[in-house]
Amino acid sequence: MNNKNSNSDILVIGAGIAGIEASLMLSKSDRKVHLIEKNSYTGGMSIKFEEVFSNMECSTCMISPKQQDLLQDKNINLIMLATVEDVKGSPGDFKVKIHKKPRYVDMDNCIGCTACFDPCPVSIKNEFEEGLSTRKAIYIPCAGALPNVPCIDTNNCLRFQGKDCQACQDACMFNAIDFNQKDEKIELNVEAIIVATGYKLFDPNNTPHYGYKKINDVYTALEFERLYASNGPTQGKIQLKNGKTPKSGAIIHCIGRDKQGYCSSVCCMYSLKFNHYLKSKIPEIQIFELYTDLCIPGKSHQKFYEKIKQTGTTLIRATDIKITQQGQKIAITHTDEKGKKRNIIVDMVILSPAIVPNTDASQLANILGITCDDLGFYKEENQNISSVVTPKPGVFIAGCSQGPKNIQETVSQANAAVGKILSASQEGING
Amino acid sequence: MDRKIGVYICECGPNIAEKIDIDKVIKAVSPLDDVSIATRYKLLCSEQGKKFLEEQIKKNGLTHLVVAACSPRDHQHTFMTICENAGINPFLFQLANIREQCAWITENKEEATNKAIRLTKAAIGRVRYHVPLEKKEIESNPDVLVIGGGIAGMEASLHLASPQRKIYLVEKTSQLGGVVTNLEKTFPDMQSCPKIIQDKIDQVTNNDNIKVYTNCEVTEILGFFGNFEGTVTQNNNEDKTTVGFNVGAVVLATGCALFDPTDDPNYGYGKFDNVITALEFEKMNLAGNIRLKNGKTPKSVAIIHCVGRDKKGYCSEICCMYSIKFVRYLQNKIPEIKISNFYTDLCLPEKSYQKFYEQSRGKKNDFIRIDSIKITNPGNKLTITHNDEQGNKKSHGVDMVILSPALEPSVDTKKLAEFTRISQDDEGFFAEEHEKLGPVTTSTEGVYIAGCAQGPKSIQNTLIQAEAVAGKILSSLIPGKKIEPEVKVAHISESFCIGCKTCLTVCSYGVITFDSTKKVCVANEVICRGCGNCVAACPSGAASLKHFTFNQLRQELKEAVL
Repeated sequence: MNNKNSNSDILVIGAGIAGIEASLMLSKSDRKVHLIEKNSYTGGMSIKFEEVFSNMECSTCMISPKQQDLLQDKNINLIMLATVEDVKGSPGDFKVKIHKKPRYVDMDNCIGCTACFDPCPVSIKNEFEEGLSTRKAIYIPCAGALPNVPCIDTNNCLRFQGKDCQACQDACMFNAIDFNQKDEKIELNVEAIIVATGYKLFDPNNTPHYGYKKINDVYTALEFERLYASNGPTQGKIQLKNGKTPKSGAIIHCIGRDKQGYCSSVCCMYSLKFNHYLKSKIPEIQIFELYTDLCIPGKSHQKFYEKIKQTGTTLIRATDIKITQQGQKIAITHTDEKGKKRNIIVDMVILSPAIVPNTDASQLANILGITCDDLGFYKEENQNISSVVTPKPGVFIAGCSQGPKNIQETVSQANAAVGKILSASQEGING
Repeated sequence: MDRKIGVYICECGPNIAEKIDIDKVIKAVSPLDDVSIATRYKLLCSEQGKKFLEEQIKKNGLTHLVVAACSPRDHQHTFMTICENAGINPFLFQLANIREQCAWITENKEEATNKAIRLTKAAIGRVRYHVPLEKKEIESNPDVLVIGGGIAGMEASLHLASPQRKIYLVEKTSQLGGVVTNLEKTFPDMQSCPKIIQDKIDQVTNNDNIKVYTNCEVTEILGFFGNFEGTVTQNNNEDKTTVGFNVGAVVLATGCALFDPTDDPNYGYGKFDNVITALEFEKMNLAGNIRLKNGKTPKSVAIIHCVGRDKKGYCSEICCMYSIKFVRYLQNKIPEIKISNFYTDLCLPEKSYQKFYEQSRGKKNDFIRIDSIKITNPGNKLTITHNDEQGNKKSHGVDMVILSPALEPSVDTKKLAEFTRISQDDEGFFAEEHEKLGPVTTSTEGVYIAGCAQGPKSIQNTLIQAEAVAGKILSSLIPGKKIEPEVKVAHISESFCIGCKTCLTVCSYGVITFDSTKKVCVANEVICRGCGNCVAACPSGAASLKHFTFNQLRQELKEAVL
């Protein structure tokens, strides 16, 4: 309404929960939004979770209406499989270059019937499922992913490896497969930029004493999320690699905290959530939670912890944890809070790793002209002014790309970034 | 009225066509009353399909439309828009989901077909009784009432104020600034609080579009999103003056209180000299006067974390960090002082917090994990007795004890929650609309919460919430733009209502009021969100929901199950 600038469009980078929330709000205020997502789907990390703490609401049920709104919103130009290549200019007049990779599936023609999957002769590990299941070269990462339109993975598609295959095209009734789609360079002119590129998890391969990848049935938090997910590789059946149901499990908090030098704020809570996951599927399972300091800030979180404690879980304050294979089982040696060396034997171990900056965070920071802090997260100009404001005017940060946080805080930051942008462009604002 | 219902069955390529005998469905529904045409099409959501539908509505003079196709999640919106374009009210439409609920869930074509027939018949049965619903638009007032002149209220006001949007900032005490005015520095970056807060106060007082009311309390809030009326009473000595204003939104930024340690006798607060609360210590430190009761400088101090956590049942998030900040204050001002921190779990939940803790550790500074603690005063020193990690009883003598109490809701929370018809959570803070997705909105549209009034949080997170509130208001309450209320809303029939008020108790949105003259309940359709709670609860059948009337549901069910 109050925009005098012709280029009052906003660029949002990352279509996870922060990016979606910010885009929908901006659209509501009659702004045109260009939402850039590097993946072929929206929703980011949060659609990998079956339930969220502490109200244990179904995560996809919570987010999919927002994703649906996003796809139907005429003010939002969602550009998927895209990355930002260059940003020039200043607030009110940024010139942005986007590189969009082809999906090879026409978004308008495809109805998401998945008839193209079966005929595809390629089978590779599905990275969305943390490699716990396989997918085809033409694929949707998981059931319910939005938009419900596959994309072709050219690194594995036979046709793009020079072979003569068009099995998916033959199977499609809607002429949706288009091998001739080309890379696109898109140039945008925007007033402001919100960076919401999320996070990844610390790789437990960097801490070999936890036995990850060496011992079967040592899982990361994300692997376990998918194991529990009803749209995941086992349809939510929690089972060991040998197909058996675990009788005991251990959840290890703070994986990578020492190396990273900070507490990731959400791991204690999601580890307690895992406890609930295990108990709800396997009521008789024996569970150990090994933690250093319980970090459960927030008005509703301790109550959740008290509830978990009542289910008979053994909570151990532990240091010097080492995980080894012991026959068919897994041994966890540790020092307890009284300083005694102890050993517990379980069927399954879940590692709860730290939240770390995304792989391309520093590269994108360079393009945007913002900086990363010494931990690699995007640096805010001054926490006491606003943690969504960067030293570069017109560029705002939101969500876990600024630092580890839960969904509530992520949404708050997304709302705040929008508040900053809309506030600055109110007519005649003082200061 | 002569109804002409058009029934269109989408083949969805092979998706529906191969799993359902569409011709059989057409044959089954064609003879039904009011059905003027029933036919199939290969893909109704395609561009050609949409054009086809629009032309069909016009050509056949249809009054109602039924589409049997996919989930309403996918294309309800698409088909309603087609209705609008073709000149029929979009609510005279019903979608039967014969893909997700029939074609895609069984290999048995006969069963799928039978169910598709039932669902399509049900849609026809229902649509026959649909009535046109019109979208309404109401004028809105862009001004905002902000309650609480602390850092959250000021931050929100500064982001909202403009020549088109006046802000009324109401503060209970005689000055702006709130609890932050008592602090010397922020954690973890140890920036000057007086500077931060004075900057904000100056900006607020110099802003022509913010009107500040100090010594004022809100005494009434009526109305709804876009059109609230607030009444504020000013307490000037004996005089009480009342001011009223119209606003479109209300922001509750009323902060929090500290747990009172006299509630737990183990801490000796109020009994022994030199046992003080965190806030008392902040004030002492800000005045540059860290002294014992006898005027001497303390040589040893104990800082006790988590005071009141057990009683409150939650972790207040900031106490570990401000306790560590006290270590910095003390090390800075009394370099030789010995400091002991007694904690249960160190809660350092942000990227820079752990470093702050590590850098605050030192030779004269212990961090001791305890599971229980008691403070006594046997001689001229305070004695702290506790169990250490090994379960051994230990005791320490110190000159001064600082208690770091939990944050709790401020006294006005209940009253303001009632005024604005929002709920409080189990802990007594204002309840947000949704734990994850709606941290600053509430169950009353147009009422927002920010800062510690919503739950314990740091200055940084308080600022973020205030800015988030600004974002929410700026994106939904736009000067000159009308508000579109929900169309599918509840209505309470005056003649059927027996005045039992059952509906009043189940409405989360404050929609229903009791008309004591007529002895009936009345629903304010402008703020109703159409949840249907009142309809389900009403024992006399007086409450109904538009587009989900008893008759519509009955007709739908009759065709689906009989």
